[in-house]
Amino acid sequence: MDQFVILCFAVVNSIALLALISLGLTAIFGMMRVINFAHGEFIMLGGYATVIANHAGVDLWLSMLVVSPLVVGLIGAVVERLIIRRLYGHLVTTMLATWGLSLFLIGAVTAIFGNTTLGVSASLGNIAIGAYSISAYQLFLIAITALLVVFSLLALHWTKYGLIARAAMQNAELAATLGVDCDRVYATTFIIGAAASGLAGALLAPISGVLPHMGAAYVARAFVTVISGGGALITGFLSAATILGPVEALLSYFATPVVGQASLLLLAVIILRLFPTGLSSLWTGGR
Amino acid sequence: MKLSRRTFLGASAAISGASIAGALSGRAWGASDSVAIASLHDLSGPLDIYGVPSNLCMKVAVEEINAAGGLLGKKVELKVYDGQSDINKYPQYAQKAVLNDRIVMVQGALSGAAREATRPVLRKHKIPFIYGSFYEGGLCEKNTFCVNTGGNQQVVPLLEWSFKNLGKKLYYIASDYNAPRNFGIWNHVMAKREGGQVLADDYYPLDVTDFTAAIAKIQAAKPDIVHSCLVGGPAMSFYRQWAAAGMLNKIPIISIVFAAGNEHAVLAPEETDGVIVAYNYFQELDTPKNKEFLAKVEAVAGKNHPYINGEVFGGYSGVMLWAEAVKRAGSFERDAVLAALESGIRWEGPAGVMTTDGPTHNTMQDVHIIKVKNRVWNLIEKKEQIAPDTYGGRCNVFTNPHQTEFLMPQI
Repeated sequence: MDQFVILCFAVVNSIALLALISLGLTAIFGMMRVINFAHGEFIMLGGYATVIANHAGVDLWLSMLVVSPLVVGLIGAVVERLIIRRLYGHLVTTMLATWGLSLFLIGAVTAIFGNTTLGVSASLGNIAIGAYSISAYQLFLIAITALLVVFSLLALHWTKYGLIARAAMQNAELAATLGVDCDRVYATTFIIGAAASGLAGALLAPISGVLPHMGAAYVARAFVTVISGGGALITGFLSAATILGPVEALLSYFATPVVGQASLLLLAVIILRLFPTGLSSLWTGGR
Repeated sequence: MKLSRRTFLGASAAISGASIAGALSGRAWGASDSVAIASLHDLSGPLDIYGVPSNLCMKVAVEEINAAGGLLGKKVELKVYDGQSDINKYPQYAQKAVLNDRIVMVQGALSGAAREATRPVLRKHKIPFIYGSFYEGGLCEKNTFCVNTGGNQQVVPLLEWSFKNLGKKLYYIASDYNAPRNFGIWNHVMAKREGGQVLADDYYPLDVTDFTAAIAKIQAAKPDIVHSCLVGGPAMSFYRQWAAAGMLNKIPIISIVFAAGNEHAVLAPEETDGVIVAYNYFQELDTPKNKEFLAKVEAVAGKNHPYINGEVFGGYSGVMLWAEAVKRAGSFERDAVLAALESGIRWEGPAGVMTTDGPTHNTMQDVHIIKVKNRVWNLIEKKEQIAPDTYGGRCNVFTNPHQTEFLMPQI
């Protein structure tokens, strides 16, 4: 019985992790079709912002929930203004530009902060479940991810900005004729996506530490989740995470992590073979 | 003048001949009053946490030798090469050091891959290779001398102590590459010897950061001891998650790699208090020789010098042992120096006594079992003169002088 609870926890944890790292990317790639190879670096910058702020004396929760999204949102604004704005619609050029940005950010962080892993400690204690015990911080992580997903759903469907953003995403020209400033919408969406990635990095910092190359571990899985998810913004990546997460978690537990990660990728290939435009084509009729 | 093909070929041959002759002419050691040794470490890139302090220790040793009057009347010069955490650079720089800069000894190439790339180059050019990093053991080559602990020299005393004091059931969690797998074999050897039991060998890729499943599996197995051989930045998350799951006070962790990457300084005390490791050297060692050594390190690198752990201390001990061999041999020639090392040199340094072992081309070490509390290491027990393993007699440069393979322990 205990083991069953622990396995459920591992599964939910895996889904939440995939959802958390994909949230920012879904805004940028899902809405604007901008392939942002620097997504992993936004996560990394969020982690660094938390660690630096915390080491400078700022309260940990403030650093994680306020400082990191603000800092990375700001960096996102600068990046959008300087680089991305000129490249909307040019898929290959944005790939190249964001790849270069990713290398630049890794190099800059290495030059300023060095190669050593830094960390913060978020001690929330642990919860005993029979012979096992799980960290309360990971429960907090799951809760916050759920909150973020719900919040994004509400924001997209119940607020004016959400309506405008969805309109600009569906048909930019028509939205423009109705008075929507598409450039402003794109910029705001990019900043929100960057801030969400920064928040993800901040929340992951206490359990995985920060080092300049940490983005590489997350960017592949984030892209796989978002692309398998398909066109529907929130339900898309959520459904992909719900399918990919358990497979990785269970196989990592019963076999090895290598098998877990490999099967996640294999499953993504199968999903895309069956649903070329992603899982959400099942309920949105393709996009 | 009309440039015919014959004239052109003749002129280029003459010019090449002259430049080669010019390069070869400087080969006479006796002509100059200094001799050069090479430090081949990663001073940039992800592996610089090992390379920079190792290079620093070599510098401290060279300055100490020169302050005492040099070696055989000559000043020792340290030529520094930056491997940049890139294996390709190692054979290139080794070759350059030997051919261009007339080095008489090369020390460095700490990671297993770099070591394997550098060894053949130095063997070909007949320049002695002093290997200063701790490693899994099994390097018994005529041209190489290992001055730091081999796997058995750390693992055997640590496991002996652990099976006696902590319990009999051991769970092994490690990074998945050759060295930890090699140490894993030692777990089984020692368990058999001490009447213990290895519950599981759990290997994880180097980039895994989510250890939820790992910790759940350990909790299910209920071991008395957790032996951790996790290496690298991402693997540090295991210690964070282990402490977050409340396990730090429940099951003790032993390791022979923890702190080599200064994990105890990066992680918080509540994430590391109580971890037990075994090294030949640690900075908090309370002996007069160590205090002198640390003063010299401070003089070279200032008060904020990197933490000197057992891994990087090899930079200092390697140069000092080589210097002793040169003095005994009375020459810088490779064969004379190696013969001197093989004759068994006993050197007392900051880490205790080190004695070079002829047959194995490794070094007997004093090993300290230490526990960390609040980021400071404290001595639990000192084991004296742990001998390197002979791998069933295969590790012997006198009976197997042409051995270049890497030996593995057998259960």
